[in-house]
Amino acid sequence: MGTRERRLRSNESDLLLSELFQASGADSQEVAIAAVGSFGRGELSPGSDLDIVIIHTGSYSPVELSEIVNAILYPLWDKKIKIDHSVRTRSEVRTALYEDLKVAMGLLDIRLICGNPDLVADVQSMALSLWRDRSSHYLPLLRESLEERYQRNGELAYLLEPDLKESRGGLRDITALRAIHSSGALVLPMERVSQAESLLSTVREALHIASGRDKDRLLFTEQDKVAELLKYSDADALMSDVAQSARAVDYLMQMTWYQYQHKGKDGLGRFLKRVRSTSISPGISIANREVVIDNNFDIDSDPVIGLRAAATAAQLGLRLSFDSLRIYADALDTGRGALTNPWPREAREHLIALIGAGPAMVEIFEALDQEEILFHWIPEWRGVRSLPQRNVLHRHTVDRHMVETAVSAAALTREVHRPDLLLFTALFHDIGKGTEEDHSLRGEILIAPLAARIGFNERDIVTIQKLIRHHLLLSATATRRDLDDPATISSVIESISDVGTLELLHALSIADGEATGRAAWSDWKASLVNELVRKSKLALTDNTVMQQPELREDQLSRAALGTLDVTIEDRGNVYAVEIISPDKTGLLSIVSGVLNVLRLDVRSARTKTIDGVAVMEWLVLPDPNAPVLTREELHRELVKGLAGEEKLAQRIQDRIEAYIQMPTIPFPAPIVETFLDAATDATIIEVRSHDRPALLFSIGDTVRKCNIDIKSAIVTTLGAEAIDTLYVTEIGGGALATERAIEVASRIEASLK
Amino acid sequence: MKLITAILKPFKLDEVKDALQAAGITGMTVSEASGFGRQKGHTEVYRGAEYTVDLVPKVRLEVLVDDADAAAIVDVIVKAAGTGSIGDGKVWTTPVDQVVRVRTGERGTDAI
Repeated sequence: MGTRERRLRSNESDLLLSELFQASGADSQEVAIAAVGSFGRGELSPGSDLDIVIIHTGSYSPVELSEIVNAILYPLWDKKIKIDHSVRTRSEVRTALYEDLKVAMGLLDIRLICGNPDLVADVQSMALSLWRDRSSHYLPLLRESLEERYQRNGELAYLLEPDLKESRGGLRDITALRAIHSSGALVLPMERVSQAESLLSTVREALHIASGRDKDRLLFTEQDKVAELLKYSDADALMSDVAQSARAVDYLMQMTWYQYQHKGKDGLGRFLKRVRSTSISPGISIANREVVIDNNFDIDSDPVIGLRAAATAAQLGLRLSFDSLRIYADALDTGRGALTNPWPREAREHLIALIGAGPAMVEIFEALDQEEILFHWIPEWRGVRSLPQRNVLHRHTVDRHMVETAVSAAALTREVHRPDLLLFTALFHDIGKGTEEDHSLRGEILIAPLAARIGFNERDIVTIQKLIRHHLLLSATATRRDLDDPATISSVIESISDVGTLELLHALSIADGEATGRAAWSDWKASLVNELVRKSKLALTDNTVMQQPELREDQLSRAALGTLDVTIEDRGNVYAVEIISPDKTGLLSIVSGVLNVLRLDVRSARTKTIDGVAVMEWLVLPDPNAPVLTREELHRELVKGLAGEEKLAQRIQDRIEAYIQMPTIPFPAPIVETFLDAATDATIIEVRSHDRPALLFSIGDTVRKCNIDIKSAIVTTLGAEAIDTLYVTEIGGGALATERAIEVASRIEASLK
Repeated sequence: MKLITAILKPFKLDEVKDALQAAGITGMTVSEASGFGRQKGHTEVYRGAEYTVDLVPKVRLEVLVDDADAAAIVDVIVKAAGTGSIGDGKVWTTPVDQVVRVRTGERGTDAI
């Protein structure tokens, strides 16, 4: 089996048709037989139809022509050879080319078998020039027909019983890609799918031989036979290769349509006569609605750029440029731009922002996989790449299932206090699959070095391991154990002993179930799991609210001086900033506003006010275009800000307005909750929101307008998600009354919309 | 012939299945169901707000049996499904006029 055999089969059919043509008595100057479609390319599988066009000059009468055609076709029908034919003059071909997309595409592969070569050459040249001239008419029709076919036949890479020809990523897609390339509308790297074409054609040929039928659907019952015929170790290995090939085809197809659709547009989707490139950070721009890594960028000087570009593209809902991906992949292949071990915090944050982008991350992640960039960052991913799950529960291969789980998890980030841990474990929860071992236990072991390399601390790694080990615990317990039995709840809290981890496991179970599909997850099952979680939470005594920070002795003694004091520590790619300042209403929003106008992105903050003096610790990430931060400059800006000289609000509004013009993706709405902290007689306001420029400024400013005091604040940014916890009191002291707390929460929520 | 329908607590399904198999029943239909009987659902507190959950998740199991076997099979289900607490479910039987096995066309008790 292979190209040679398919070519031989095609040659034999050529010979047979030539003999029949000669025997028919047709004048070889007046008539020609040409092959089209796969026969035109000389690629015949055992079950393939013979697609032919009989072209004639029109000089024969209808009766004479009919006799010739019958003399050619009847012997073929008698031999039970399936034939798909048409009989046309040159002008009839021209009409069909105008009217029928299938004819227009089929004739791109036309090949003379016998008869007048000029007739075939003429049709060939006419078909190609019409295809090129009318590409703006044909290509949208082609895209529409592909979408309809995908609806009918599903995705080759993920179906249990895919159609090798018709499914998305199948052989018909390769023909479509070749046609798009022939149109000249785009230049496609067709060599990228040559291996896939060869593999899928060979599997199809083996399927025809193994089944003795001409069907292209690779049924479950045929997969073992085909695998044996092609000398695979088992059907899983065969289906993994099929999936990988289909993904390569689909990747090129999706990239092609994206480029076709957005050619000549800028970052905002406007059509331009000349391509305008918008720089959004050093080394990264947007052009043609794609995120581009600048060609001359030195990736050794900033190895995080790949992750930054991927996260940026995902968060903006754009694609990464095909060319940039290839140039970046080549650089990584030659040993350039390697990330340190452990990754810097910035790299981890970008990975989390990429994972947290929801549906927008799927295409980006697939591109990183197809270009093999992903394996430089996460070599462990190779073990699950295109790994099939041949059972009725799953819809996808292991790797795609994990990506889909991350997509579902992105919608649940408001339900947990550590969205970064949720997103990370969602993406890697099945990393232990691929052997006979229990995948949860194997995953627990495999994830530890990976999480450490990505930069999670030891405590987080323990939580991640626990989540992966127990990711099936809630579903299994909820459906198989008595939820009214206290022993059932005890068994859960024996494994998961704190509320934070339990809420993470709950969100992970939902995301995993939703990604698996309806066979594994339903409202019925969700309600059982909810009940189990509710009862388990009641049995746990801790809470998830961030506690007020404790101050050090040196901070207390400096605070006692009661004057503005600023220190800065450069920690490589972030600054640790400590600010001690006499307290005043709106201090948090003023300081965060000053940091914002200095182009410093707040990643975390811990502030506490004691005896009228606020002690604030900030971790800030300078914007790539920000100047070097000095203590003197920050001190000067703070003095101006505190004195009310700076028009902070206006400057920040300008930045927000520039930001909201950028493309964006949907994300869960912010959540603002309030609790009473009896220990300190304060009200806790917890805000969980998608991060954006000046988020903390907006929150602080709203609190100021509500005329309440912030006693402490704990601010955390995890990837693209922010969790801000404020301990507030009335100006004269004391917690807010319930109604007032609700009013403040709703004003904050409104300010974030 | 009789159709036995049982509404069970989900976690009891495996035990009931095993007991039915031990009693010679090889085919059954299982589906997810929700409802309430005398237990009337329950009250949940979520994020400080109290609300009533009306429908409790259950499993619905259906088995076709010969008339002569129906009472014994009902006993098997009741014994395996019981915990003694509220919400254990219900079992009932319904007369069935005709049963046809689609593949072979067999009818009546031959199709069970």
